[in-house]
Amino acid sequence: MGGGASPLICTEGLTRYFGTRPAVVELTMEVRAGEVLGLLGPNGAGKTTTVRMLAGLLAPSAGEAVVAGHSVTKEPSKVRPNVGVVPENPGFYKRLTARQNLRFFAELYGVRDPHRIAETLALVGLAPRADEPVATLSKGLRQRLALARALIHDPPVLLLDEPTSGLDPEAAKEVRELLAELSLAHRAILLCTHNLSEAERLCHRIAVLKTKLIALGSPSELKERLFGRRVVVTLANPRPELPSALGFPFVRGASLDGNKLFVAVEEPERHNPLLVRRLVELGAEILYVTEEERTLEEVYLELVEGGNAA
Amino acid sequence: MRLKVLVLKEWAELFRIKMVLFGCTFMPLFMGGFAGYMVWQGRGLPPEGQAALFNAALLYFLILPVMIPVTLAVYSVVGEKEQGTLEPLLATPLSDLELFLGKSIVAVVPAVLLTWGVFGLFLIFASQVIPGGVPEGVLSLPWLLSIFALSPLMALFAALVAMIISSRSTDSRAAYQFAGLAVVPSLVPLIVYSARLTAVDLKFVGIEGGILLVLNAVLLFLGVKIFQREEILIRWK
Repeated sequence: MGGGASPLICTEGLTRYFGTRPAVVELTMEVRAGEVLGLLGPNGAGKTTTVRMLAGLLAPSAGEAVVAGHSVTKEPSKVRPNVGVVPENPGFYKRLTARQNLRFFAELYGVRDPHRIAETLALVGLAPRADEPVATLSKGLRQRLALARALIHDPPVLLLDEPTSGLDPEAAKEVRELLAELSLAHRAILLCTHNLSEAERLCHRIAVLKTKLIALGSPSELKERLFGRRVVVTLANPRPELPSALGFPFVRGASLDGNKLFVAVEEPERHNPLLVRRLVELGAEILYVTEEERTLEEVYLELVEGGNAA
Repeated sequence: MRLKVLVLKEWAELFRIKMVLFGCTFMPLFMGGFAGYMVWQGRGLPPEGQAALFNAALLYFLILPVMIPVTLAVYSVVGEKEQGTLEPLLATPLSDLELFLGKSIVAVVPAVLLTWGVFGLFLIFASQVIPGGVPEGVLSLPWLLSIFALSPLMALFAALVAMIISSRSTDSRAAYQFAGLAVVPSLVPLIVYSARLTAVDLKFVGIEGGILLVLNAVLLFLGVKIFQREEILIRWK
């Protein structure tokens, strides 16, 4: 992802109420060209409402969003041709074939290139089944077709609302691989998902939404911000006095659990050699030194259930 | 262009649905057949009696254009809801007006063509079975205007009413039931015609046409106002 790339999605205080119920409150974020931003949050957190506002389908109650250079409040009709959407339930005209469905949407988007439909079907691996009615396609193939529909007009912005939801692991993997390829092009992709390992693999940055934005950053930034960095030293001869005997200012905390010594440090790259030397001086017999791997799931649960904002 | 794309897709889809096809073709065939049977039954009557029967038979061709579009209009809206195709459709550059108008055209054109087609078949049949052909003076200018000018306006009226009801309804079965109401106002001219029998005149056709034109303009305006993507997305669950 190019750090200096221009933002293709930019929201400022984006808010939407349904009656008196807030769905999204004061959402401020941006997604740059070539970036995949994962939008995580529990059910009812406002993810779908955000996607709909960014697609020019729902008007914000307050705030503003600019998508591909067009305001969603002032010019939603200019936003729509620049956005490819995979909705939560990607419906199709089931009696028509995959190719007929795609041709219909291509024509609505004003796609003139006669080869574009075949190219897009090939891109999502649907070419061999293109002339079969959608009703006969599996859920995984329909999801691929939904991606093809979102890509048919080659939009700079993709809004994907749980594109792997309900798919079997193999189909989900295929869709993820496709998404990874798409992110290489200079598109801004907003990916709503409940699948945290998918988000960790595909997304450059993660936004955690619970009506309000409660965290935004790269997966590693969020982990670090929330949990700090911890070194795990596996010992052959664990001794209870070790955690308190380290005596370094960069050590923010240490604890012993079985034969594992957990040490919170600021920069393991710089501090680990000093730490290892000190432990050896203290008579510790070291088997392994690793950095503790926090998962995005832990970060997410801490944020959503723990009420922490990162 | 987008309007044409939408209309062609709708027809490609609708005409693959057996129930919709059956619903659209049964009524014209039934009513056209019944009208033919009436004039065939009266073939031995004196010319005045034949003329009266022929007039009564013609009324069926004013019912057809309001019955056919209801099925098509309701399905074209409800079908989007049922298949979950509405959100991707609304995400395209298609405007609310294009969407509403396109779906109305989808319902109106087959209704009008079927009405005219069955009317043509009826005339051919009548000219064959009635000794001396179609009674003189029955196919007057007001009657022909009713069939060829009023029926499209009636079909549009029925389609617009069905579309508005379908777009406001959150349940497809309720949409089908309530959309049947689209036929009721269109029966008013039939009642008037029935009461006056052969006294169908240009003035009456003109007034009726004018009222339908105004009603259709108002319904189109209201329909587009109501048929907004945001409303539809929120209401149609």
